[in-house]
This record gives sequence, C-alpha cells and structure tokens, in this order.
Amino acid sequence: MILHILNRAPGTSLVYRDALAGMGPEDRLLLIEDGVLGALPAQVRHFTPVLDRLFALREDLAARGLEGHCDATVQVVDVDGFVELTEEADKTVSWF
Amino acid sequence: MESQDAPRGDLLVILRHPPHGTSWLRDGLDAALVAAAFGQSVSLLFQGDGVLALHPGQGSGALGQKGTAATLEMLGMYDIEALFVDADALARLELAADALMLSAEPVDATRTAAMIAAHRLVLVF
Amino acid sequence: MASTEIHRYLRVGERRIALDPEGYLVDLDDWAPEVATALAAEEGRTLSDEHWEIITVLRDFYARFEMAPAMRPLVKAVGQALGPDKGRSLHLMKLFPDSPAKVAARLAGLPKPANCL
Repeated sequence: MILHILNRAPGTSLVYRDALAGMGPEDRLLLIEDGVLGALPAQVRHFTPVLDRLFALREDLAARGLEGHCDATVQVVDVDGFVELTEEADKTVSWF
Repeated sequence: MESQDAPRGDLLVILRHPPHGTSWLRDGLDAALVAAAFGQSVSLLFQGDGVLALHPGQGSGALGQKGTAATLEMLGMYDIEALFVDADALARLELAADALMLSAEPVDATRTAAMIAAHRLVLVF
Repeated sequence: MASTEIHRYLRVGERRIALDPEGYLVDLDDWAPEVATALAAEEGRTLSDEHWEIITVLRDFYARFEMAPAMRPLVKAVGQALGPDKGRSLHLMKLFPDSPAKVAARLAGLPKPANCL
C-alpha cells in the first residue's frame, strides 16, 4: 500500500487527477492543507474512485472551520493518525 | 496491477512544473542528478505542464536566468536514460511526442500507478 | 555553484585573480591556461599533457551543459573524448588525487560541482 498525500484543492489545481491516476487499487489518499477542501460534500465527487480510501487531516480541517463539515465517506485522522498511515505504507508520494 | 511490465528503478522523479516559472523543475532535476551520481537507477516522468521541459527551442529567462534545457541534455552523461512523458498532457498542449528535444516514451495515465509501484522511492516536483 | 565571496587573490603575471574560500574562481571569465598553471603550482603540481586533456574535456562539458560534472559523468565524458583507457576513475585519481571532480573543476575554471559530496 502506498500513501498518497495531496495538499491542493480540486478547485484550484488539477494535480488531483494525476494523483488519482497514480494510485493502485490498495493505495490510500490523505488530504492535507488546502487539499482538505476536497473532503467537503460539494467537492468529494472528484475523488469518487477512491472514496473508500480517502482520508483528511483533522488539524487542517479545524484550522479552516471545516471540521464537522466533511462528507460522511471521508475518514478524518489527526496528526497521530497521519503517522500511523505513514507507518502502514510501503512508501509515500506527495502531490502538490 | 501489471507492475512487472512497468519500468523499475531506485528512484522515480515526477516533474510537474514547467521551466522558468518556479525552481521546482530545476530542484527535481537536481535530485535526479544527485541520485544518479551515487549510482542509483533513476527514471523521470514529465507530467502535466512539466512536459514543457521537453519542448525544443528553450532559452534563458528575461533577466538572463539559466534555463533547464542544458541540464536535460546532460541527463545521458549521468546515465539517466529512462524518460517518460504524460501523453494526455502532450495532447492537452498540442505537442507531438516525436518533436521533443529528448526522446521520451509517451505513457498514458493507466500506466502511472504501475510505474510508481515499481520504484523504491518516488519524488514529485 | 560559483561563490561570489572573494577570499583571496592569486597572482598570475600582472593579473590578480579573485578566488573564493575553496579556491574556485569568483569570475569564471578570468580563466586562462596560465591561471590553471598557477593554481596547480600553489599545490606543488606541474600540469602534464594528460592533465591538460582532462581540463579541456571539463571546459567542453561546462560549455555544453552549463554545469560542472560529478565524478561518474566526468569519467563518462573523458571516456567519450579520450577513449576507454582514460575514461576510468583510476586514471583521474592518479592525475587529480583526493577528489578528481572537484580538483580538476577548480583548475579548469569551473564552479564547484554541485552534485558531489
């Protein structure tokens, strides 16, 4: 399993498309920084192929007043959860 | 995942930024050169607007800043021969794969995941 | 990268050549064969024909690629220009002991190679 990390919002940058294309069937996607905008119900459709493997960082949501506004399919993790995801992964790939 | 068909290597550097606007492209090439200088097998994937790095006829910047074309010409001296270019990005910019300054193998998006899986380390710039 | 800090001057005939703290030229355009000879003489070396042909390979490399090569590409460039017998790290180690890529780049008037430790 590879952990892909995305820090750009789907409304700002098309990098999310290349990130999705780069994901294997077991890989996970973690949204951080501006990437967490993709976790909103109005945006999450961009991540349809990986909804069962989509994570968002709690601290970045909270800083933007977005904690509790995520789509129900998104798994919210804190920084410790981020570390665990990293430990479970064979490697990480950062998209920006 | 047909990763056994994918090009393998120690390091895959994905270059997503065009020349001149930022230092991302140069930084990515530097990372590739350092790894190659220490004997690692390095593959490059030019993706998104990063495919413009392969466009012929580049020059120096408006203030005389060095471009990256000379560095690309040098890749062969560092034995970096595995060059791949995002076919969709070429099409979006209406660039022809056979008119690039270096020979790079066009790959479509369905092969990216296998390429990433087949390299020990992946760096995106 | 070439440093802009002038650490000292090297006297070459009537000229004073600015050197950075590691002994590389501050202004790469200052280079002339006499400068290489003077830099080598400071270290007690005399440049032979075999040294000069490596210096020429390095200057050609820089003119073409705008960068000083690390050891591996230097070996490859020397092999391409001078043949497989000379395109070996042993040959370069013999001519430019310790760190051939750095020592030879300095004598050739190139910036310090960025991609080697």
